[in-house]
Amino acid sequence: MNTEAALSAALDGTVVIENGDERGEFAGVLLASFGADVIKLEGRQGSPSRRLGPFSSSQPDPEQSLCFWRYNLGKKSVRLEVDQPAGRNVLERLGQCADVIIDAGEAADIDRRLGLYQEMRESNPRLIVCTITPFGLDGPYRNFKMTDLTQLAMGGVMASCGYDPRPDTMYDTPPIAPGMWHAYHIACEHAVIAITAALNFRELDELTGEGDCIDVSIHEAVSTCTEVALPSYIYNEKVVQRQTGRHAGVGRTPPWLRRTKDGRYVKAFLFWGDRDVRIITEMLNEAGIEHDLESDAYRELAERSPSEAHKRFSTLIDTLVLSMTAEEVFHRAQAKGLLWASVRYPEENIDDPHFQARGTFQPIRQPGLDRDLSYPASVATDGKRRVTAFQRGAPRLGEHTQEVLKQAGFSDNEISVLAGQGVI
Amino acid sequence: MAQTTQSEPAKPKSPNKSVSRRPLEGVRVIDLTKIVAGPNATRMLATMGAEVIRVEWHDQRALDLLRGVLPKAPGGEADSLNRSGLFNNINPGKYGITLNMSLPQGRDLFKRLIAKAAVLCENYSPGQMERWELGYDSLRKINPGLVYLQISGMGKSGTYNDYLSVGPTAQALSGLTHMSGLPAPMPPAGWGYSYLNHSTGYYGAMHVMLALLNRRRTGRGCYIDLSQTEVGVMTSGTATLEAQLTGQPTPRYGNRMPAADWAPHGAYPCRGPDEWITLAVQTDEQWQACVAEIGSPDWARDARFRTAAGRKAHEDDLDRLMAEFTKSEDRYELMHRLQKQGVPAGVVQTAADRYLRDPQLKERGAFVPLPHSEIGTWPIEGFPAKFHTMPVEVGGLPGRAAPCMGEDNDAVYRDVLGLTPETIAQLREDWII
Repeated sequence: MNTEAALSAALDGTVVIENGDERGEFAGVLLASFGADVIKLEGRQGSPSRRLGPFSSSQPDPEQSLCFWRYNLGKKSVRLEVDQPAGRNVLERLGQCADVIIDAGEAADIDRRLGLYQEMRESNPRLIVCTITPFGLDGPYRNFKMTDLTQLAMGGVMASCGYDPRPDTMYDTPPIAPGMWHAYHIACEHAVIAITAALNFRELDELTGEGDCIDVSIHEAVSTCTEVALPSYIYNEKVVQRQTGRHAGVGRTPPWLRRTKDGRYVKAFLFWGDRDVRIITEMLNEAGIEHDLESDAYRELAERSPSEAHKRFSTLIDTLVLSMTAEEVFHRAQAKGLLWASVRYPEENIDDPHFQARGTFQPIRQPGLDRDLSYPASVATDGKRRVTAFQRGAPRLGEHTQEVLKQAGFSDNEISVLAGQGVI
Repeated sequence: MAQTTQSEPAKPKSPNKSVSRRPLEGVRVIDLTKIVAGPNATRMLATMGAEVIRVEWHDQRALDLLRGVLPKAPGGEADSLNRSGLFNNINPGKYGITLNMSLPQGRDLFKRLIAKAAVLCENYSPGQMERWELGYDSLRKINPGLVYLQISGMGKSGTYNDYLSVGPTAQALSGLTHMSGLPAPMPPAGWGYSYLNHSTGYYGAMHVMLALLNRRRTGRGCYIDLSQTEVGVMTSGTATLEAQLTGQPTPRYGNRMPAADWAPHGAYPCRGPDEWITLAVQTDEQWQACVAEIGSPDWARDARFRTAAGRKAHEDDLDRLMAEFTKSEDRYELMHRLQKQGVPAGVVQTAADRYLRDPQLKERGAFVPLPHSEIGTWPIEGFPAKFHTMPVEVGGLPGRAAPCMGEDNDAVYRDVLGLTPETIAQLREDWII
């Protein structure tokens, strides 16, 4: 067995039931990428994320949502009204052969199902129940209404992201939420860590190994993901300040973002050591840009006024960077051993030979679209090939209802009755 | 100061003396990682009960620079390697040993540790382990069941395999930097910290734990070549898909919601200096509740704002008017008032806010006081979930914050490798440990 087969099939035979809303969908995607059989339960109207854009169609269509596709890759869809009595019975039966239940949403909604999950764990002690809620199932904020944006605010990410203040140190630009769904990414990554830990825990003793109940708080997860911000306050009572395109800090730092000849940006930061000065000098010489870095005058300036020397050095780097395209800067700087990179659009990586060689993206065709789209599918290789992949795209609403219910032992008649009751 | 209690130096338990069943009970991890991404992966494994042995050395080239970065715990020797608050927060629950890997004797000891381990995590510069003849192909001959996690900026295969990277490099290349910020012509705001140092650690931990599950079934280990940049690509949302369909470069949206007619949706200034509140109105009902709570001002009852589509179409005006209103409001009072009406609202909390003014984090025990042998007891960020059964503790097996440099040399070399005190003393004398 090669490593790719090993890890992409690590969860082969593991059945995950995913309930709830968009807050937990990324956890199901990650588990599916490792081979889990992820069964997504959707009400008759479909998951809320089916109504989020952008859409591949000209008009909003729950079967054409790119948001739904991205966050539901590799799953099966079962249409089920879980909060109806008959729906609860179906869920209970499905749970008898499941390994994991993920339920994401507001704590008050999940409260209604906790008793059922407890009963399911009594009949299937190996079941792992993982809830993902804005603040966890207890605490004074448990019933707050939240979104990805408000979670990134409360959890501290936004306080570190944004633009430089004005010269008078006041900000006239807001803190920034750095992209969509990151609060949910962070929470779901922690949920998967907890679930995989529980799967290991279950295997400690094959005879008595039991599952667990895991209560993930999105707020706590985001709050653990702000690097130096909390230690700066806890140890030194310093609050970090937002800065454009670089790390927030307790003091101002030199710029990292620089414009290039093609109107793009590169992240060009320096450690101001002799090595970096030598490399920049070489690059300036190669580009034919006049400079005085090797002169006695510059060396004297560096001794007399390091900040003035840095300023002049930084200006020369601006000139250097402006003489090349972003990709030229990236590759030439890396060839010299600088940690610089072009600020790419995410889609520019799809055709990059590096990511193609690693299989970072996986082409998948969704029904209703006459072409493949490349989806991010893996973050690792076994040295040659990607270690995770998706067995299918995102499901159509209820696409697997019959298949899953039959596998769980429901007869055709039972399925027909449930359909007649509007439960499935 | 924010230090929770003064305490005696920590007295960690020795390895192999686990007191209860933990998810990763019996899993020994050799931790050859530095800075944040790698240590975050092993932090998670330690939290889940693995016996994580952190291997370090004093030489400037080998030293984990994080030991020297600010913030430092106050007092003590200025050049101490044991006082960094960030290092302490990233490395709790681990044992710490020193080992001079640049010497053949050091590498021999390392191989003996590998023979007794389940997992190796490392994030050395490209090619370093191979130069020491300690790459996966060499180490699996010593331990066929070894799970070897190698973390790098770009990945160890592909055309950029020798490129150098830190968190900001990976964030720029992956697209995450570009996507964060106000629309052009404003430049990208990017991330104000190395987000991918955190996330890469999370993916490292989950890959290792799944490899361990596999190992239980097959007895086989594996090699995992984890790329920090690919973690960024994985979390770039729907951007790559949309760009493939439209052929247009991914734009930036500031704090607005690109996927639905949610408005107002942004950060609005409040009364104090650099104090902000976020609002994310998803439905007309929420908007009506919001308008009623703020006193139904004329501007909010404007017909243009009656429907979600109208609010989205006139978002510039809506944001300007809302900011005029919020700028005289207390941020926490407004949040509580709106939340009472079911309107999604959240204060932009700084670290000070989270540490001092967040009752939720306090009640859930988000900050775990853990002892450290040199700087006493400090709050450490805990794992963000509660467990009904499993003992999951950020202090790990030692029940302690980060180890001091080489703090557990005696215990580890004695208990894991069976070395005598005399041998350990000689190794110390010879500058090998």
